[in-house]
Amino acid sequence: MAPWTRRLGTVMTHRTRARRPLLAVLVGLALAATAACSGGSGGGSPSGKTLVMWTFKQSHVKALQKVAEGFTKETGISVTVQAYGPDDVFLTKVQAAAKTHDLPDLLEVHTNGDDFTFGAAGLLTDLAKDVDSGWLDNYLSQVRVDGTVTDQYYQQSLTKDSKTKGIKLGQRYSVPLTIGTFGIVYANKQRLTAAGITSAPTTWDDFVADLAKVKASQPTGGGISLGLKAPSTGLEWFMQPMAYGLLGPDRFRALWGKDHATNFSAPTGTQVLETYGQVTPYWMPGTQSLDIDAADLAFAQGKSTFDIGGTFTLAFLAQNGFDPANVLTFPIPAPANGAIKDLSLAPFTLTGTSVSATTKNRAGALQWLRYLAKADASATFAKAALDIPPTNLGADPNAAVGPVLGAMINSFGSGPSAYNPGDTTYRPQAYNSGDVGSVLMNYTPLKTQSAAQTGAALTKLINSYWAKQ
Amino acid sequence: MAVSTIVKGPSPTRRAPSRRRRSRYRGSEVAWGVAFVAPAILLFAVMGVYTIGYGFALSFASWNGFTPHWTWVGLRNYTGLLWNDPAYAPIVHQAALNTLWVMIAVPVLTVLASFPLALLLNSARRFAAVLRSVYFLPYVTSGIALYFAWQYVLQPDGAINLLLRSVGLGSLQQPQGFLGNPSTALPTLIVITVWSAVPVSMLLYLAGLQSVDTTLLEAAQIDGAGWWRITRSVLWPLLKPITAIIVLLGLRDSLQGFQTFLIMTNGGPGNHTNVLGLETYRLAFLSHLDTTLGLSSALGWMLFLAAVILAAVNLRVMRRVT
Repeated sequence: MAPWTRRLGTVMTHRTRARRPLLAVLVGLALAATAACSGGSGGGSPSGKTLVMWTFKQSHVKALQKVAEGFTKETGISVTVQAYGPDDVFLTKVQAAAKTHDLPDLLEVHTNGDDFTFGAAGLLTDLAKDVDSGWLDNYLSQVRVDGTVTDQYYQQSLTKDSKTKGIKLGQRYSVPLTIGTFGIVYANKQRLTAAGITSAPTTWDDFVADLAKVKASQPTGGGISLGLKAPSTGLEWFMQPMAYGLLGPDRFRALWGKDHATNFSAPTGTQVLETYGQVTPYWMPGTQSLDIDAADLAFAQGKSTFDIGGTFTLAFLAQNGFDPANVLTFPIPAPANGAIKDLSLAPFTLTGTSVSATTKNRAGALQWLRYLAKADASATFAKAALDIPPTNLGADPNAAVGPVLGAMINSFGSGPSAYNPGDTTYRPQAYNSGDVGSVLMNYTPLKTQSAAQTGAALTKLINSYWAKQ
Repeated sequence: MAVSTIVKGPSPTRRAPSRRRRSRYRGSEVAWGVAFVAPAILLFAVMGVYTIGYGFALSFASWNGFTPHWTWVGLRNYTGLLWNDPAYAPIVHQAALNTLWVMIAVPVLTVLASFPLALLLNSARRFAAVLRSVYFLPYVTSGIALYFAWQYVLQPDGAINLLLRSVGLGSLQQPQGFLGNPSTALPTLIVITVWSAVPVSMLLYLAGLQSVDTTLLEAAQIDGAGWWRITRSVLWPLLKPITAIIVLLGLRDSLQGFQTFLIMTNGGPGNHTNVLGLETYRLAFLSHLDTTLGLSSALGWMLFLAAVILAAVNLRVMRRVT
């Protein structure tokens, strides 16, 4: 080898060696980038033979999988259901997955809430053109529109700081999966019988009298449990249904208005608060420190005789060993002197199912949703999940979903005498029910403020939300 | 003049700098150096600089983490939290007041509990290692499990009420539980925070005590000083730097820590135990997709500023006491 070539060779070798680590770094970065890009294939199945669905309700996993067995036999497409809970963990999971383009094919969502937020962010596919009248006929008439951007939701999306900015009128981002309502009292039947109570109270006054009777016969464990660690529960599940029955629809909505003659700071507001305050002696000790599950658990363990919840509470109680046959359920009743004598609760869609915008098998996902809407499939789901389906189960729902769920379905009402917790049109867009509920807690159970002080504080807070409108 | 020349001119003992010196590093060496440093720089750039910059920019925007675009709001997040927004400012004010109580109580109580414990442990002749382990247990046990255990203990039918009842102190019982009564909830959480901070503080004091020169103590004894006088006039002044560190750690934890509050009360009952760290978390992750991530970021930056001021004050105090 000529000396100059050897020298060149040496130089070349040095340079090559010098580049090696740089090359390694570059290759590493390239691999990392490739890996990141490949994450964009999504959490959904790339093959299309398996659909991946995320839910925030553990009790829905087995129930959905049971329905999916029939779906797989019919279509050859399998469904994998994964639960991430509680709600805030689920939202964070979706947020992270959206950032990494790793969303599943389907998501269970809070209808008319999360679905619109996700839809506005471009995470979901618009189902408006897919969900035809034949599909919708499967659902109860009251909930068919749920998941669709109506004019009310569209107008809300236009306000400042709206979390649904970007949705368009007529879009549909979910179809109903479960329906139900808040404001249902679960009572321990054996304890009621021991206190001489044989039927559910029909007025608020009877309810308070029953609370006193049970407390007398059962000094410990005779109270009401409610997960007030989430302060909105006291407000929305307990006080609001009673207030609706006491005042009627218009005066009830006016409580959240700006007019000081009719809102919480007015005498009607004080009247509502004082009526609600009648339950103060009957709270289960420490219920203000319990979250929703812990409060339900306290009822299941016999630490309370009454538990305030929703239609979805039954599944949790059963999961935790409480015999559904030992439960007496009734809606929060209206006061005897109230504007509505026959107060009932209107159902609304609690959760729905959405199809992600990144799914590789949109057609399969739609097939699954259509299958879930069938009466027999939804009845199978309901029985396994102990949750109420949105479908029309005929004149005798007991036969399809059992006596306890059937009784709840039969108790649903409609029209002006039915309180619909899903109707939030009277509240300002920036409304935060947790903060409002915290103010209410100072009145009961904490007893740190009077009814009038609480009414004034509620009005001040609600006015601050209106100011942002 | 000669001196001046020597001072200004290059040192005769030094090699000529620049070219020859630079040439000592071969290309391969430079490349290896870069290769080794690059991961750390990249990591810091992504996890440090980028996230800090992103978070700071977010504090001037309104966003919920989902929408494709941020809405720029200038200083509105800061002014809103401080005074301008009646929906958030009162909550932040209450949280700030609670945080202030925690910041005062936790460091003071931690020092008051850990210093005597360290003195006791230092004087133990037997089972010193076992006792050290026992006192250190709260620190090494998983926090979340401990906080749940505390929740059970503090319930209306929990162990503390039972204990008070059984020793004839029934009047001190809390019928709504120690976390359910607004007037006892915050003090209870302070006590639990102190309880979890004492082990490390005690260990720091113990290390300090064991490094004290025994001749100083012997000299004090010869001068007729008793146990109390030695502790007050010899040991306590010698351990002042450790006290300053413990106080600083306590202040920092009280200002930014919130896990105890999140798990045990979530700020309740009725916001009576809300603190600034928890409010930051709630605005970011528990606001039901409201566009409050910017508010959360702004509150986080204000907390950071307060922490920097605290650190500066602490530095001055440390200089004075050491």
